[in-house]
Amino acid sequence: MAQTAISSSQEDYLEAISEIIEKNGHAHTKDVATALDVSMPSVSAALQQLAARGLVRYQKHQPVTLTEYGEELAQQVRRRHSIMLKFFQDILMLPAKDANETACELEHTLDDTCLNRFAFLAKEIQTRDDCQALRANLQEQMPTIKVKKEAPVIPLNYLPIGQQGIVVAINESLACLQKFADMGIVHGMTVTMESHAPFGDLLRIRLLESSLSIRGEDASGIWVRLVQ
Amino acid sequence: MSTCCQDKSQSPALPANLRIALAGNPNCGKTTIFNALTGSHQHVGNYSGVTVEHKSGQADFCGHNVEVVDLPGIYSLSSSSPEERVAADELLHTHVDLILNIIDSSNLQRNLYLTTQLTELNIPMLLVFNMADEAREKGFVFNFPMLERFLGHPIIETVGNNPSSLEAMKEKAIDIIAHLDTRVPPPHIQYDEHLDAAIADLEARIATRDLKHDEHISNRYFAIKLLEGDPHATAMPAIADLLPLSQKYREQLAASHGVNSETLMADARYGLIAGACREAITLRVMHRREISDKIDAIVTNKFLGLPIFLLLMFLVFVFTFTCGKPLIAILEFVFHQLSVAISTHWPAGRAEFVRDLICEGIIGGVGGVLVFLPNILLLFLAIAFLEGTGYMARAAFIMDGFMHRFSLHGKSFIPLVLGFGCTVPAVLATRIIESRRDRLTTIMVLPMMSCGARLPIYALLIPIFFPEKYQALILWYIYLAGVIIALFAAKLLKNTLFKGENEVFVMELPPYRIPTVGSLALHVWERCLMYLKKAGTFILGASIIMFFCNTFPRKTSDFTRDYEAEISILEAQADLAPEAKAFQIAELKAERQAEISAATITGRLGHWLEPVFRPLGFDWRVDSALIGAIAGKELFVSQLGILYASDDNGDGTDTLKEKLRANYTPLQSLSIMIFCLLTIPCVGTMAVVRRETRSVLLTIGQAAGLFIVAWILAFAVYQIGLFLGLGTHLLS
Repeated sequence: MAQTAISSSQEDYLEAISEIIEKNGHAHTKDVATALDVSMPSVSAALQQLAARGLVRYQKHQPVTLTEYGEELAQQVRRRHSIMLKFFQDILMLPAKDANETACELEHTLDDTCLNRFAFLAKEIQTRDDCQALRANLQEQMPTIKVKKEAPVIPLNYLPIGQQGIVVAINESLACLQKFADMGIVHGMTVTMESHAPFGDLLRIRLLESSLSIRGEDASGIWVRLVQ
Repeated sequence: MSTCCQDKSQSPALPANLRIALAGNPNCGKTTIFNALTGSHQHVGNYSGVTVEHKSGQADFCGHNVEVVDLPGIYSLSSSSPEERVAADELLHTHVDLILNIIDSSNLQRNLYLTTQLTELNIPMLLVFNMADEAREKGFVFNFPMLERFLGHPIIETVGNNPSSLEAMKEKAIDIIAHLDTRVPPPHIQYDEHLDAAIADLEARIATRDLKHDEHISNRYFAIKLLEGDPHATAMPAIADLLPLSQKYREQLAASHGVNSETLMADARYGLIAGACREAITLRVMHRREISDKIDAIVTNKFLGLPIFLLLMFLVFVFTFTCGKPLIAILEFVFHQLSVAISTHWPAGRAEFVRDLICEGIIGGVGGVLVFLPNILLLFLAIAFLEGTGYMARAAFIMDGFMHRFSLHGKSFIPLVLGFGCTVPAVLATRIIESRRDRLTTIMVLPMMSCGARLPIYALLIPIFFPEKYQALILWYIYLAGVIIALFAAKLLKNTLFKGENEVFVMELPPYRIPTVGSLALHVWERCLMYLKKAGTFILGASIIMFFCNTFPRKTSDFTRDYEAEISILEAQADLAPEAKAFQIAELKAERQAEISAATITGRLGHWLEPVFRPLGFDWRVDSALIGAIAGKELFVSQLGILYASDDNGDGTDTLKEKLRANYTPLQSLSIMIFCLLTIPCVGTMAVVRRETRSVLLTIGQAAGLFIVAWILAFAVYQIGLFLGLGTHLLS
């Protein structure tokens, strides 16, 4: 990605290691695993790859350290992250969590020219006198621009137990299409997932005040929108 | 309490043979109402060609005699299952004066789906909001006038086991029929503008067609059926040319509504019902978590579900077989006494053959039929109870995962477990499986579950040939072998003979209810009567035939020894102790009997078939015993006893044991047991299999198939054992 030709995931590792070392003085593999929310084996594998590329020094049961080049790359990633973060927070006025998440994703995709221009744009808006009115307007209007997140649409067999979903689409080629329709599984119907059978494929769902049991295989052809 | 139509003279004269049909979903209490209306005046049969039951009976509606037909429980009239086809057929092609649409009030929306279809038939209808007490408890409040306007039919509330509410229902029904002339046909259900326009257009075009014998059915019905893509309607030649037009409408409407064209009408119906219910029903009380759900949290629990199910199966098993034992003992005692009474009072020397025919053939045969009855009665009671409470659906829910691997339905588990007790009631229990292919497969492999009648065979042979430390193990292996072979045979059958698309699995899990005692009793009574009528005649006939085979030809002379003379000599001997004398005389008599048996048809057949069974390690005596065992597996031991001239009292089997040990090897005994495990079931089983499968071909096919499997496996066991030199000598 970008100029460095290492993967986004590897960039994330470098970023995390650098941050942890800055905070704690040293970075244990456990800390890295926690920070990135991955399993220990995954961390070991990733660190070995990074070590092979000369970006980290890694020995089992020892804290991991960054090589000089590794540190350099890490700083680049962190810089990109902080530029985007600042832009999202200060200009777009996104809440901190959303800003951080989006920044984490974009930091791998945008190239440095683009980033520098973002940074410049942000700086100009924040500092120039003739942008005073603009700043005031943005301050007022930005937070009001919201789009309600539509609930995800998932196959019925993925509906968590206890959750409700509204049927939005049914696979036409299902053999049991007519039978399902007769029983009430039609567009717009609210379905609740009650339980799974102890063995095998059966699901128990509730609709229209009674419980039905259908095969998970068939349920995968019914798409429902989660009800929040 | 109101009494029905107190002043009969006021009601106008009604046509003589009134016919009322009960239609509704499964689990809506229809059967309870039917039983309450008709009581014991009901008749259960079959619709021709399918295994759907036809139930009808006579009832008294305010002094009028009415024929009530209980249609099968259905969710829709879309002819996607035999029940639906049969119900639609009945309503369209036989004369029905009134439909009582039984509705579960607490489950209104799904029940009304059928209602919207029934209204299209244009038959007078009364909507019966059943289980009104439950609905009220849950807090439902109905605006009946609004619902009546919406649906176009009068509504009455009932509680299935409350007689006075049923009386009110009967009054209302008669009232409707009496005022048919003045009846304003209800307005059609309005869907939405475009759909109604399409229906109207198709309706108008159909009106110009000649529908021949379907003329009495409204054109609107066919118009809607075309829009549904109903296979029956689309196949009618008279309206075949309208198919492209209806298809165009379907696609247009589907596109504009954003739904699939196949389920266009279903969407429209449910949409309409949802709207109506939103306006006409209010829920006053917040839904508390129902008791049913609490029970299910335990019963279908990931960890507890299976153990609870196995426990209940065990209880059913115990109930059916253990509780039935005393009843069976009583029956056997009665028949035995009857037989004894007849033979003692029979004038000696006169037509002894007839006496024997009556005692052994007929009484033995009838006894053989009735001896199953206690088990069947108790089994049906247990199953009716489980089904009535709603547990049966949960059982299928739990076991389906396991059974599915062998291409069987979850409900197959129950008959298979019952097969360990007795195959006859187990075959009858397969009725709980709706899918025909699954049911047939289960029936075909049931005899391989080692039934109780085979236990005497194992109990005899295993202790003789196997040392104590192996005995339980061998028994366990035999049972296990039966189960494994049965499961794989089922998978094979499902993939070959009974191959087909996997039936659609949609099963309702109704709330738990307590079935009424009356319903249970009626249900069980009906079943037992059916069994007696159909299976009974077959078993009786077969028993008489077996009697002949076991008796004739009668050897009265040409014995190898002059038994009469020897017995006289013994009796005259004064210096012999009475016990020793009696013992030796008994021995001589038994030898004589052995020779007589060998000369009968059964005995001769045994000799004749010897080449067939020699590769399995059997000799003619075993073959004869096997033939006798066709009447009932438990007869194997007694036949063998007779042929080895050991008397068949309890202690006499010691001599039999010695004789068997002397004549056979452990390997042969294993081969015998495996053959008995798998071979042709007894006539009782064949009779019920013929009844349940309605196919002589399948019954014979099963017998032949089992025989072949048994032969091959016994052959394999024996020959491999010989080859490896295993079991040819008694193990120490």
